[in-house]
Amino acid sequence: MDNLKVVGKKIPKIDAPLKATGAALYIQDVKIPGMLHGKILYSQYPHARIIKLDTSKAEKLPGVRAVVTAKDMPPNFRIGIMKDNPPLKSGKVLSIRDEIAAVAATTPEIAEEALSLIEVEYEELPGIFDPLEAMKEGAMLIHEEAKSNILKMPWRLICGDVEKAKQESAYIVEDTFSTQWVTHCCLGTSGCVAHFDMHNNLTMYSNTQIPSLAQNDFVEALNAFGLKNRRVRIIQAVIGGGFGSKLDTYAYEYIAILLALKTRKPVKIIFTREEEFFATSPRQCTITKISHGCDKDGRLTFRDVEMVLDNGAYTSWGATTPSVMMLPISSLYKVPNVRYIAKCVYTNNTYCQAMRGYGNPQATFAIESSLDQLAEKAGIDPLELRRINANEPGEITPQRFKITSCGMKECIEEVYKRLNWKEKRGKDNGRGVGMASLIHVGGGARVYKSDGCGTIIKMDDFGKVDVFTGASDIGQGSDTVIAQIVAEVIGIPIEDVNVINNDTDICPWDVGVHASRTTFVAGNAALGAARKIREQILEAAGKILDEDPADLDIKDGMVFSTKNKEKSTPLGKALRKIHYTLGGKMLMAEYFYDPANENFDKEFKGNLSVSYAYGAHGVEVEVDRETGKVKILNYVAAHDVGKAINPLLLEGQIYGGGLQGIGYALGEKMVYQNGRLMNGNFLDYKIPTAKDVPPIQPVIVETDEKDGPFGAKGIGEPGLVPTAPAIANAIYDAIGVRIKDLPITPEKILAALKAKDK
Amino acid sequence: MRGFEYYKPKTVKEAIELMVSLENAKFIAGGTDIMVLIRQKKISPQSVVSLRNIPELAEIDTKDGLRIGSCVTHNDIDKNEYIKKYYSALTDATSQLGSRQIRNVATIGGNICNAAPSADTACPLLVLDAKAVIIGQDSSREVDLDEFFLGPGKTVLSRGEILKEFIMPRFNENTGSSYIKHTRREAMDLPILGVATRITISITSGNEVRCRDMFCTIDSISNILERLKDEGLRCEDVRIAMGVVAPRPIRAKKAEAALKGKIVTPELFEEIGEIAASEAQPRDSVRGEAWYRREMIKVLVKRSLAKSMDRVIRPDEAIYPERLW
Amino acid sequence: MKKEITFNLNNEETTVEVDPKWTLLYLLREVLNLTGTKEGCGYGECGACTVIIDGKAVNSCIFPVLEAEGKNIITIEGLAKDGQMHPLQKAFIEKGAVQCGFCTPGMIMSAKALLDEKKNPTDEDIKEAIEGNLCRCTGYVMIIDAIKSVAAGR
Repeated sequence: MDNLKVVGKKIPKIDAPLKATGAALYIQDVKIPGMLHGKILYSQYPHARIIKLDTSKAEKLPGVRAVVTAKDMPPNFRIGIMKDNPPLKSGKVLSIRDEIAAVAATTPEIAEEALSLIEVEYEELPGIFDPLEAMKEGAMLIHEEAKSNILKMPWRLICGDVEKAKQESAYIVEDTFSTQWVTHCCLGTSGCVAHFDMHNNLTMYSNTQIPSLAQNDFVEALNAFGLKNRRVRIIQAVIGGGFGSKLDTYAYEYIAILLALKTRKPVKIIFTREEEFFATSPRQCTITKISHGCDKDGRLTFRDVEMVLDNGAYTSWGATTPSVMMLPISSLYKVPNVRYIAKCVYTNNTYCQAMRGYGNPQATFAIESSLDQLAEKAGIDPLELRRINANEPGEITPQRFKITSCGMKECIEEVYKRLNWKEKRGKDNGRGVGMASLIHVGGGARVYKSDGCGTIIKMDDFGKVDVFTGASDIGQGSDTVIAQIVAEVIGIPIEDVNVINNDTDICPWDVGVHASRTTFVAGNAALGAARKIREQILEAAGKILDEDPADLDIKDGMVFSTKNKEKSTPLGKALRKIHYTLGGKMLMAEYFYDPANENFDKEFKGNLSVSYAYGAHGVEVEVDRETGKVKILNYVAAHDVGKAINPLLLEGQIYGGGLQGIGYALGEKMVYQNGRLMNGNFLDYKIPTAKDVPPIQPVIVETDEKDGPFGAKGIGEPGLVPTAPAIANAIYDAIGVRIKDLPITPEKILAALKAKDK
Repeated sequence: MRGFEYYKPKTVKEAIELMVSLENAKFIAGGTDIMVLIRQKKISPQSVVSLRNIPELAEIDTKDGLRIGSCVTHNDIDKNEYIKKYYSALTDATSQLGSRQIRNVATIGGNICNAAPSADTACPLLVLDAKAVIIGQDSSREVDLDEFFLGPGKTVLSRGEILKEFIMPRFNENTGSSYIKHTRREAMDLPILGVATRITISITSGNEVRCRDMFCTIDSISNILERLKDEGLRCEDVRIAMGVVAPRPIRAKKAEAALKGKIVTPELFEEIGEIAASEAQPRDSVRGEAWYRREMIKVLVKRSLAKSMDRVIRPDEAIYPERLW
Repeated sequence: MKKEITFNLNNEETTVEVDPKWTLLYLLREVLNLTGTKEGCGYGECGACTVIIDGKAVNSCIFPVLEAEGKNIITIEGLAKDGQMHPLQKAFIEKGAVQCGFCTPGMIMSAKALLDEKKNPTDEDIKEAIEGNLCRCTGYVMIIDAIKSVAAGR
């Protein structure tokens, strides 16, 4: 490990030159000859019956090539994990983002004008916008065919005996915390180009995070269209931000497919920024009742959590985030008895999706806020309470997670030291410090039957390598990490590695960029393939150099004998000799890595991930008591990453995640009023600007994960998981008020201060 | 987006003639609002008359008081040291409006003619006693800025009239002004509330002000004011203006009257804040709640007055201590 | 009705027929195929479309195309000279300032406008120069570092 040449180095992203020169082609930049432009008509009401839908005027507009409505979709064709979402709606609309009709035209402007010519009459219906209302007995049913508004997804985790533990606890706290809708705000909006060939095979230019699963979804769609046994090819453009937003397939993609089929032309749909705000799926809002207990020494005795999630009108992955919330609920700190019950509830609101952290930020906000309350009640310093209960290597948690490497204690100590915790804590001068920790999956997550990723390596005639991976780069830099691993293993400079990752016709299967799994899983897949190709090279070179392959090594693209230094050959020359000879061959290798993690059993137990990522964030704030404004003076983000394969990119994930977390904690909120989004633009939905960046210190803790590639674990999501509770806890230390409802706005702080003073 | 014709007159006269002769025409200056409205299809003019290429609208003249052409950009005002020194409230506003890209093209006239309750430059211009010079087809008039706004998006301008420039008097030496923009974000934001003040003070206790350094502390404002009390600083003249608290930017005239002629004390400042708040009719909106806006008036009026006074007491200080406000 | 305009684009005299309703961004992306300049919002709220006009950073998505007449316009495609990237481009790459990259061209243009105007910008100057360029990936830290490194290096 000490002699690493490429791994562990601050290597710039290999696709950065393309991006910095404007040469990278995003979905917006994809142009195909003869391409038409699609636009979608959305409902004007969050809940209404469609009385009349007349597209005749739109059809007559010059330049319009097709107008489609629900009747053009195969009957009963539904998308989403619960198959409850028809891509084009008829009869009743259930949310403000319901797609009613769509147009393909020669220009986007004509398509848009055509939309305005579609006549729709609605009978507005009363809606349900509060999940607690929707849960009530006798509440109006959002989906009439369902018996209840509560989704048939009974999230229920029971470990140990919570009731008994309550009896035996010295201190108990209970409170309710809630979180808001926030959205990904990818700078590049969503879009696709659908294109059929003469045999009705589909090519989809896309910015999906899940090429292989999307391929599966679209094959299913083609079947529904009566196009059996067709091929689907996904070509990913450069992706202008992901953060989980592209983990599902969406109505607009099926609409593009339908329009392309109707017109026999490529059809491009690109979202406007408004659409990106109201017609994509945010991080779900939650209401969490949590109770914690500890013994007189501060050892946690139980954690009891009940949660309600607003599912919106349809179901996407948002409804499954409780599966990841279970992770911190059962296993953040040592807690022997755990109960977690969550209900997802249909409403006439927007439906939710995955967003960086996949439920973990919401759960951790409740857990870590509650823990501070418990510490206060037990009279223990909150950081000390966390030290007492910190996770450790070798632990098997109540949910049966096998903790391998674990740097939680080191992370907490970093926070203690760098925040100057002892000096700064409890000063009651408008300044305060707070902290929170995190656990997240760091070695894949077995959500599907496969958690795998394939890699193919092909050597060319000149010593250079093409790596075909299933893993998608959404900006995080997985291509670079894969290139580093391959370069390191083979013994060549990173410049000699070319990573191809954007075409399902070429690249092997991968389950998708989610769960912070890419470095770990795709990294291990690349590692496996690289080792195989190295073996092949050495074996063939052994024949050329007349040496035992075991005595050969490769460095900087030279193959040489470790025993006899004179015996060496440039890699390219060796490859040509292997190739251009009677019975010659091209060197290629493939490897499919599927981690040895487990699907949950019926009780939601099992070792979901091969390893777990840890971290602790500490923050010092100053609160203006007159305005309620919060200023972050210092922010420490310590992360156990196993091994930093590329510290430059790693720090980028920590800074970026941290600032997203700060936005989540202090400002961002999608304001929905009666099912309508009131702030769908960058001026009113306030993601942080460069001027809002506080001093952030990233701290990398390395614990050498035995199963990780070169010891690495995932880091994609953890950066924003503990941010909000760390800030809430610091505010409490500063001014003695606890905000339990995100985001922590100046209004809420001022109102709480006034209530406290009364 | 519907098509439109785009005209680029070179003189004010030409622009007015175009405006009178064209159907459904709209003036455009920096375009940072108009272009957005057109793209959002909220307006669809047949003709757009650009004021960008008229040199006489883009001048700043500091010979006698201050004249700012309506098509001077926020960035140009920002860079003007004279304005920064003698009309500080205006620089406070122009330096915080939108983003660098917006400030590079957006004009002060455009900001005012939109007549948004949140227009950043409105409060400073109100406290700086600005008059709007309006040129018509064959007339010209001067209107107090306070008379200029009729309501959200509505001004006294009639068709064919152009806002040519703003004129402001030169103020007494012991005058300072400031604008505080209360936002959720540090940039790219509209104010939840904006407060501008201008104050002229006289020192009754002697010639030397002993309190110069107190503004350099991170003391709370009440402590600073407490110490000011001994200086016997009297408010000779004052203007207070507030944005986003009514359908149009307004002056807090009762608060002004209550402060004028008095010796500055913490208690008086509290009272002035309360009075100013009582003169506002803030509403709940996505951007802020009414009760919070009302509370913030009390705070920001005090802070802005203190900041304006600071600019009298320490006229050469360029850097303020970093504080939350 | 289309009109002909002439302006200097990336150091070349360019004459082109435009529709008065176009924005400069539309001309660049859809007509001249200079797709390096991005559209992130269309309303001047994100800065992805930033180009430099007569030395100043401007949102091209709300810039009326006819105002380009006679102007000197630089886009991201105009930064590299003789096959060599601009120092800002190199710094963005080396300092990790690029993730998804969608904001990068606009961000670099804002940075260039700043450095062309101020030789030794402060951290505050840098933040102010890019305050109108939203980035969701990087947290801005490495972007600020990259700009600083170019300013210090000359």
